[in-house]
Amino acid sequence: MTGKTVIKRLVVVVSLLLLVLGAAPVQAATPLETVRGEVNKVLEVLRNKSLKEEVKREKLRVIYGEMFDQEELSKWCLGPNWKKLSEAQRQEFLPLFQQVLEKTYGDRILAYSDEKIVFDKEVPIAKNRVEVKTRAVTKSKEIPMHYRVFQDKSGTWKVYDVVVENVSLVMNYRSQFNEILAKGTPDELLEILRKKVKSQKA
Amino acid sequence: MKFLPLALALFASVLVGCAHGPQAVSSPVLGGETQPPATPAVASYSLEQHPASLQLAQNEAASPATPEEPEEKAEGDESDFDYGTEDVPAAEQVTIADPLEPFNRAMFTFNDRLYFWVMKPVAQGYSAVLPEPARVSVGNFFSNLRSPIRLVNCLLQAHFIGAATELFRFMLNSTIGLAGLFDPAGGEEIGLVRQDEDFGQTLGSYGVGQGFYIVWPFLGPSSPRDTVGMIGDYFSYPISYLDPWYVWIGVRGYQAINDTSLQIGDYEAIKEAAIDPYLAVRNAYIQFRQKKVEERGATIQRPGPDIPGAGTPARGVGSQAAPQQ
Repeated sequence: MTGKTVIKRLVVVVSLLLLVLGAAPVQAATPLETVRGEVNKVLEVLRNKSLKEEVKREKLRVIYGEMFDQEELSKWCLGPNWKKLSEAQRQEFLPLFQQVLEKTYGDRILAYSDEKIVFDKEVPIAKNRVEVKTRAVTKSKEIPMHYRVFQDKSGTWKVYDVVVENVSLVMNYRSQFNEILAKGTPDELLEILRKKVKSQKA
Repeated sequence: MKFLPLALALFASVLVGCAHGPQAVSSPVLGGETQPPATPAVASYSLEQHPASLQLAQNEAASPATPEEPEEKAEGDESDFDYGTEDVPAAEQVTIADPLEPFNRAMFTFNDRLYFWVMKPVAQGYSAVLPEPARVSVGNFFSNLRSPIRLVNCLLQAHFIGAATELFRFMLNSTIGLAGLFDPAGGEEIGLVRQDEDFGQTLGSYGVGQGFYIVWPFLGPSSPRDTVGMIGDYFSYPISYLDPWYVWIGVRGYQAINDTSLQIGDYEAIKEAAIDPYLAVRNAYIQFRQKKVEERGATIQRPGPDIPGAGTPARGVGSQAAPQQ
């Protein structure tokens, strides 16, 4: 048991060293370590009071790109409907949907800073898919937040779903897209997203 | 005409609630104790609060998506993966019938306005006067008074460790916690975690389905099952026995304002992130309630020594993690 612990610690230390040196041995990291690393980067940005909001947003966008797999996440959100979209529609959907998420969750995240994130454990959900269980601890309560990650082709663990207070973001969007696509076409869905992005910018 | 089903549902709910009698006492609102239950307005927005009955319909997604499409194969080793339902926990694939959708959407709009026009401004003014720690204590105080709801429902679910946990929590918090203003029992040292059980969950654990979706004015998302749950819980909440009625209304209203003040921004975020806020809230509500029914009690999540990658199984009194699927 302790031997394992020592090895895990070593792995972390070595990974950190390599990271510092500029290499990126991300493959070596477990899902939990990967998520912890990304979340800590987010917290660092949020806690840096010298940064302007736009700078913070830009930094968060970069971290988001490293941490999440937008295509995988979008596929999960659309579910079987993904197949209804043409290649061109998919290429438009990905950045549009990303902008919606960025704006709303960016606002939300920027509003927080005093939270402590506790990393509890990782639970396998399927082949190459793991749920990393964490809690955001605030003054008044604890909010369970679970990150679902999968191993992409390069072997990196990427997030494709976030479950906050037991509500899966992916399944929540899926319920909305399902309903919209049951009555409308993919083009109509894209139009709704375009409008949403526009209104967020206004 | 639209109101007929509603009236019937309400009537039926009342009947059932009464049939259970006092022993069925459980909490009315409830899901999360953090926020008070159904007080007007506030309740609507915290998903935790409302019980609703959901129906576990399998996600429609299931059948159409078969992994055979050649198109997906092209993407590489992921090709055999079906983005339908296979790896999604059952709790999240939940859907619910919504025969009252036009009425529900109207009520959703009503609650939305109530929040932005009344509850939020009042709660903001209140927050300006009372600092956050004090408001957290007020929330703890009401939560402590809701102990009977949780205790009774733990018992109804034969969750005896949970019931004992609630009993000790109540004794500790009512005494050394200064009448419930503080929560020493839930602190790191003692670790008695609140068991968020309510009558809607109890019914769910007996196999009662949600039925269909209802949005009540003031109270927010619910279902026939969770509405019955709310009524049952009403009887085990001491505040319900305040007399005369206007004192009761006043206290519940105050509780609603206090709760709202602690969660300003939550509803806004849900709404902002949604493509269709009504659908987003409906889905979040049923996912949340379904998970509550599946879980027994609060999972005590005490991380062990904080070792990277080391999974620490949940442990502690009354903890029982939901089965992983």
